[in-house]
Amino acid sequence: MRWLGLGVVVAAALLLAVVLGPAHVPLADLATSEVVRSLRLPRALLAFLVGGSLAIAGAGLQALVRNPLADPSLLGLSGGAGLGAVLAIALHVNSPWALPIAAFAGALGAMALVYRLGLVGGAELDPRILILAGVAVGAFTAAVTTALVSLSDAAELRNAFLWLWGGLSGASWDNVALLCVYAPLPVVVLLAAARPLDLLALGEEPARHLGADVESVKRRVYLAASLLTAAAVAVSGVIGFVGLVVPHAMRLLWGHRHRPLLPAAFLGGGALLALSDTVARVAVAPRELPVGIVTALIGVPVFVLLLRKWTAS
Amino acid sequence: MRRWAHRTHLAGLLLVATVACGRGNRSAPPSRISALDDAGRTVALAQPPSRIVSLSPAVTELLFALGVGDRLVGRTTWCDYPPAARQVPSVGDGLNPNIEAVAARHPDLVVLYRSALDETAAAQLARLGIAAALVRQDRLEDIARAARLLGRLTGAERAGDSLAQAMQRLVARDRAPPLPHARVAFVVWDNPPVVIGGGSYLDELAGLAGAANVFHDVGAASATVGLETIVARDPDLIVVLRDSSAAEPPRFTRRPEWQAVRAVRQRHVVSLTGSLFARPGPRAAEAVAEFRRQLEAVTR
Repeated sequence: MRWLGLGVVVAAALLLAVVLGPAHVPLADLATSEVVRSLRLPRALLAFLVGGSLAIAGAGLQALVRNPLADPSLLGLSGGAGLGAVLAIALHVNSPWALPIAAFAGALGAMALVYRLGLVGGAELDPRILILAGVAVGAFTAAVTTALVSLSDAAELRNAFLWLWGGLSGASWDNVALLCVYAPLPVVVLLAAARPLDLLALGEEPARHLGADVESVKRRVYLAASLLTAAAVAVSGVIGFVGLVVPHAMRLLWGHRHRPLLPAAFLGGGALLALSDTVARVAVAPRELPVGIVTALIGVPVFVLLLRKWTAS
Repeated sequence: MRRWAHRTHLAGLLLVATVACGRGNRSAPPSRISALDDAGRTVALAQPPSRIVSLSPAVTELLFALGVGDRLVGRTTWCDYPPAARQVPSVGDGLNPNIEAVAARHPDLVVLYRSALDETAAAQLARLGIAAALVRQDRLEDIARAARLLGRLTGAERAGDSLAQAMQRLVARDRAPPLPHARVAFVVWDNPPVVIGGGSYLDELAGLAGAANVFHDVGAASATVGLETIVARDPDLIVVLRDSSAAEPPRFTRRPEWQAVRAVRQRHVVSLTGSLFARPGPRAAEAVAEFRRQLEAVTR
């Protein structure tokens, strides 16, 4: 029943994303319209894939660091991606794919740095240090990015922030296909870790006694979640709160077992982002809102409620 | 145009003479200059300023056109026209000015772009005893007012008036006949797409050059829009602003999702130089003529 409900929400979100838009397309012409085929459809699918990736990555990370406030953007990835994009503009890399590739490389660089810092205490990945390292690396890359932008003479650079918060306007069949090829592997790695993640919730020692290979699971989950987030940032910029709020909402419905929670988070995150992007496109047409604003407008109140609940217990 | 340029030169010579006299005769009672700037503040000067800092590229250009460019002792990083402006020391950014760097040039007049941040800066300068004028130069009709204000403050009143008249003539009379198939969209950023709306200088230039901005109904100077909206408005031409006159089209025109826009598919893309087109100033007529030339080249 719950799955059916979620399925209906996903289908409705995708349908609305295709039917609604600033350009008027009569319902009868939906199948033949150039606007629908080359703009709306890839954008709806990209929103779904990105939202799903962010939410499942968030669910995995929250279990990994045993902290309900964990979020993919806490790990310094968005800061690294921003630095990569700004460097690509500053170095005048003139290719249509320069920004996404540079952002992806920047996110991977930040991920490697945070991962290395997470191992500082010894051979074990310490989740607390992981979060602290993520915040520190994020702050540092943001500072370097801002310094580059404010000191540079290229007027173009001032727009780099627009790209970083840009949302899904760069959607095309190319990056939908790219994500369809790229995302399955880390998603499967996360889904396969569902059982050990359940055990990890009991604490690292009990999980080890119950037979979980704790170290290997932590590394696999961290790397898979980071790789998903890096790809999401590369194609859509930084989109907040999907990775934070959706796993919590799904936990209220499906409980704490990760086997149903992880796929539900993927579907729920995809639906939320597809819906948010539709609102962003049509709410103030012909102008457009950054989708990060819409997800935050929905996400922040939920976040505050969770915070109250969390501090009360 | 040629007439005021000529007058400017004469007025400049006259001014140099006046300033020279003023310097030689310091005991004389101060001839007070006073004017209201665009923020409604009264700017009072004892004598025409001899050390001016300009914190806006448009103001720098205007001061040179008024023939008082030789009195500039400070400019922003972005002031690149006329070439002589590059010889003036830079004091950094103009929209968030470094007051210490400005004061270190010992100016007797600082001209700022009118913004909330710059009003604070003007108040800080006033506390240091430095006169500051705030000038709003966003649209075509602002240029005439700015020319009169700066002309009055610098003692180049005749040059200011003649420049102002030339600008008013441009707005009132020199409108090029509308070109067929010249509905344009100014795309200043591609992801997310940011276009120029009706409340802008570029929209006015397009009208004077015989083109029509398809986003004229968007009241703001610029706005983020969906790619789908650009497809639906179906402009004949995409106009982009570049730092330099690069020959190749901008990279976004090669991205797959932009191929949904007819003008991009047809490679009807016009590149305009940012320093000439993004800055309301005395070269407005030149900008209109250049725009018209490029429009005719593509729409032919």
